[in-house]
Amino acid sequence: MKGSFFRSMTWLHTWVGLLVCWLLYLIFFAGTISFFRDEVSLWNQPSIHNIEQQTDRIGAQKQQIITGVEYLNAQAPNAPNWRITLPEERIPYLTYGFAKPKEPGQRRASFNNSRLDPNTMQPLPPFVDTRGGNFFYRLHFDLHYIDVKTARWIVCFASLFMLIALISGIVIHKRIFKDMFVFRANKGSRSWLDVHNLSSVFALPFHLMITYTGIITLIFMLFPHPVNTVYEEGMTGFFKDFSPSNPINNKAKGEAELVPMKTILDQVYTKWPNADINRVMISNPNKAAATIMVLVSPGKALRDQTPRLIFNGVTGELIAQTDDELTGSKALYESLNSMHTGRFAEPLLRGLYFLGGIAGCIMIATGCIMWAKRLRERMKKNTQPSWGLKLVEGLNLGTLMGLPLATSAFFLANRLLSKQVAERADKEILAFFLTWLCVFIIAFVKRDKLQWCVMAAINSIACFSVPVVNALTTEGNIIQYLRNDQWALFMFDSLFLLFGLLFLLQTEKLRTGLQTKKRLHISTQEQKI
Amino acid sequence: MITLLPFSLCLIAFNCFALAKYNHFKDVFNKRPTQQQRLILLSVAWISILLSLLLCVNQLQGYGGLQFCGYMTLSALIVMIFYSFLVRLTKLFNLLILVILAMSTLFFGLNGL
Repeated sequence: MKGSFFRSMTWLHTWVGLLVCWLLYLIFFAGTISFFRDEVSLWNQPSIHNIEQQTDRIGAQKQQIITGVEYLNAQAPNAPNWRITLPEERIPYLTYGFAKPKEPGQRRASFNNSRLDPNTMQPLPPFVDTRGGNFFYRLHFDLHYIDVKTARWIVCFASLFMLIALISGIVIHKRIFKDMFVFRANKGSRSWLDVHNLSSVFALPFHLMITYTGIITLIFMLFPHPVNTVYEEGMTGFFKDFSPSNPINNKAKGEAELVPMKTILDQVYTKWPNADINRVMISNPNKAAATIMVLVSPGKALRDQTPRLIFNGVTGELIAQTDDELTGSKALYESLNSMHTGRFAEPLLRGLYFLGGIAGCIMIATGCIMWAKRLRERMKKNTQPSWGLKLVEGLNLGTLMGLPLATSAFFLANRLLSKQVAERADKEILAFFLTWLCVFIIAFVKRDKLQWCVMAAINSIACFSVPVVNALTTEGNIIQYLRNDQWALFMFDSLFLLFGLLFLLQTEKLRTGLQTKKRLHISTQEQKI
Repeated sequence: MITLLPFSLCLIAFNCFALAKYNHFKDVFNKRPTQQQRLILLSVAWISILLSLLLCVNQLQGYGGLQFCGYMTLSALIVMIFYSFLVRLTKLFNLLILVILAMSTLFFGLNGL
């Protein structure tokens, strides 16, 4: 019974993992980059690289909001919405935006944004059209080209498979504590298994947490029936109840002057004396139906929804707010969500999330490779590999080597595409997917050690070229970033150099292996002669 | 420096867990650990890891548990690298962690007073 239980668990672990491993690699890969979404967006916009950190960021917020309202009142007094986005630790600029009238068929209004340096309050040079870190964030669960809802269902199923693979993996790993710190190098499949085990065990709490909370983020899509049963309006009704931004339905007609912002801010600072305001949103400004929403940072609390206060825009009366004390179920949902996104995490914790994400990528990658490697080892000499093995090997090379190369291509396209190119952001994304497609084509034509070696070499060159091209096309470079304490940009370039080095080591290792194999082949032939 | 204390405690804990294993202890000290030595190492490991968790939660509240998980990953990785590839340097590594732990404890104590 014991034997059959372990055998069935091993079977489950292998097949559940193998079926979705390439998709999981993409989800983990994009998710890992998304932990640094703002930093990636910063790198992609050279015009904001040299904005200095404000000496008293929170202290300057009150004046920035008052100036913003005056500015928007002068620029677009009749716009349906105004939005003031204040600088944060990871977003160095100030944005004053007003909504443009919706075009027919448009779901959400687009905004006309003016971006300013918060130190000088001068407008910044025009931004380049790029999706930046948001591309990887959406790719993580929307898979880009697929319909959003379908993509999320696919991602949910993949996550569920991952969770099963993790649990069955714990069950079948008999020496989880005995071999905790053991790595046997240069031992073929044994070494691959060691890397797979170590990357799984070291970050096991992270893997379990991120997979489980990932499913929880989409729980209402997976299980809509309880909500649909309780609320007449279904999900809309539920979210109206859940979030205080939604019940605002001020139907007052006519025009009215907007309440002075000082009155609103005084109330905010009375409630939260050290409030770090993220954003101020004003809907229907200069109308009798005006509402003002002030969103503040939750600080160290495990909350995904930004705490907010909503005021009547004419009288200044507080009309709604997020709960100070969350109910048990709300607190659980909020904390699980914020654990997954790590949205308000400190830089150190963000780095540790990144480390966990990398461990996840290694775990999945080694799992994919091991299956193909074991099957190859079991194959009899002079037999042709099966169709399934060819497919797995092709998908391995295409995904494991293709995704890093596509990422480098995305960043290189950001620097090399002309600023005037139409739909520039889409072209950057196109560069990403075209590069990935090219690797897949190569992988399905041939996927031997030589192709792995060539792909590792190309990846190495691509990784090294990202900081080099950045230095050649912008005013900054890695040394300047270090001297000017621009840590986000410095870390970005350093990581590319590090990964370039790792790919170079991989190339060397594969090249040595190929040469040894060639020498062995020649000596065998000589012996035969 | 304050964030270094829970991390060094976590590192000490995983180092002790590794040393409590016969093979790793033998690699470092060329002899098998006695039952008493193993018991002491395991006790130190568990006390350190729990202290590390407490400090993380105390410093970061909600995010403390997550930071602790991250510290565990990083510590286990560092310990694995030393015990698999740099066995000769392990004694020096142990000494270094103890120095870091002492310094961070001193800093923590002085700030707390």
